[in-house]
Amino acid sequence: MKKRVALGLLFLSFVIPFGVLIYLSVSTEWYYPDLVSHPFTLSNWSSFFDGRSGLLESASISLFISLTVSTLATLCGFFISRGIAYYTTSRWWLVSAYFPYVIAPVVLAVMLNYYFLQIGLSGTVFGVMTAQLLITMPYAVILFYGYWNRNIRNLENLVATLGGSFTDRVKHAILPSAKGLLVVCFFQCFLISWFEYGLTQFIGIGKVETLTIMVYRYVAESNPYLAALAGTVLIIPPVLLLLVNRKFIFRKEWSF
Amino acid sequence: MIEIQKLRKSFDSEQVLKDLGFSHPGQKTLSILGESGSGKSTLLKIIAGLEEADAGDVLVDGQSITHLKPKDRGAVYLYQEPLLFPHLTVEENISFGLKFRNRAADTVQQDTQRMIQQLRLTGQETKYPHQLSGGQKQRVAFGRAFIIHPKILLLDEPFASLDPGTRKEIQLLFKEIAEKEKITSLFVTHDLKEALMTGDRFGMMVHGRLTVYENRDDFIEDSKTGIKQEIEFWKNLS
Repeated sequence: MKKRVALGLLFLSFVIPFGVLIYLSVSTEWYYPDLVSHPFTLSNWSSFFDGRSGLLESASISLFISLTVSTLATLCGFFISRGIAYYTTSRWWLVSAYFPYVIAPVVLAVMLNYYFLQIGLSGTVFGVMTAQLLITMPYAVILFYGYWNRNIRNLENLVATLGGSFTDRVKHAILPSAKGLLVVCFFQCFLISWFEYGLTQFIGIGKVETLTIMVYRYVAESNPYLAALAGTVLIIPPVLLLLVNRKFIFRKEWSF
Repeated sequence: MIEIQKLRKSFDSEQVLKDLGFSHPGQKTLSILGESGSGKSTLLKIIAGLEEADAGDVLVDGQSITHLKPKDRGAVYLYQEPLLFPHLTVEENISFGLKFRNRAADTVQQDTQRMIQQLRLTGQETKYPHQLSGGQKQRVAFGRAFIIHPKILLLDEPFASLDPGTRKEIQLLFKEIAEKEKITSLFVTHDLKEALMTGDRFGMMVHGRLTVYENRDDFIEDSKTGIKQEIEFWKNLS
């Protein structure tokens, strides 16, 4: 019984903030001491869908950046970690992957900013993607490093002796057995990129308006209704991704 | 026919293979007995192309394969673990190597069914590896290798992880299919009984050097193999 109550409270602690966001997103005037907002309106949502609020554009930019960054980080991290695990003996290759996490993202942005300005990447979507890759790709390398164990190496060798090329090894042996981990990594990288603020703000210099940047802006402008709308839109893609890939994300083991 | 000429291999300062050479006729199994660290696995890996030798040559039917990639050597390496593909069924695992050989679909189907029957796995075709016992998994691993008719089958203690009963059963099955399919194989083990059961010819590897015996009696008689001492031990015990 206690467990059920605890679980119920935990569930409510996740659902209530989301409920409040949705509630605020259909409100325009909700002042103290009113217990409920009135009137309810879909004007915020219609301004989202018809593009007047600019949030639709921000959501599209965010989706483009996050999908590209998470796809590239997952694939590059996968093969870079293979290279480190198989062909290097120095621990420093892996240790260097922890570098972006030793310092705060904003400090990292300050360090990168000079170079980004020099090569004209500041204030561009490509620049923001590059900056985000610098934190997501090392994360993917760290996550995948443990995957390349003796069994996987032997499996690769086995496919080679059965007549398979490198492409065959990847297609028939490596990717199918790493599918679950790849999905998890993609999901995690997507979340890192999707909710990234400090680095995006600094490298994007206000020109690249991702959804996370817009939420902060509306909060700073004391516009709770549009902030709630942006917040609701911000939560939807990760929740959908979680639902679609839940069988992989909640799996307990990946080895065979 | 496999011919190994003056094979040398070192890891750091340790010399694992010392000018190793021997020849082995086709369609026979050479059992190589040796302790851990004697260089048995390194020898097989060099033949398969998974390790590079420092010096020496590997010839199959008179042709050097030393500079060929593993996929082009026709030498299948079987590990101690069955290493089945977890996302493929028994049938798909067995026919896996045929993907790279451009066979017609009906030929693949027929060959796979024939192999499943030989391996006594009828009825298990649609099962996945996690639904199989250790012995069944090892049978599938053998089938996956046998079906492509490799020039050489390299077996690196493939029965080591099996319980004694299953081990004997799979040893006999291996022998039966290897003879029927006319497979040339090198079988390394540290188990005396296993070496005697599976081999047509026998070898003893000590500190990177291999002695090959032409028949079972010579192998048993040589005190280096330890077989006589083993027989004496069991005699004295009774």
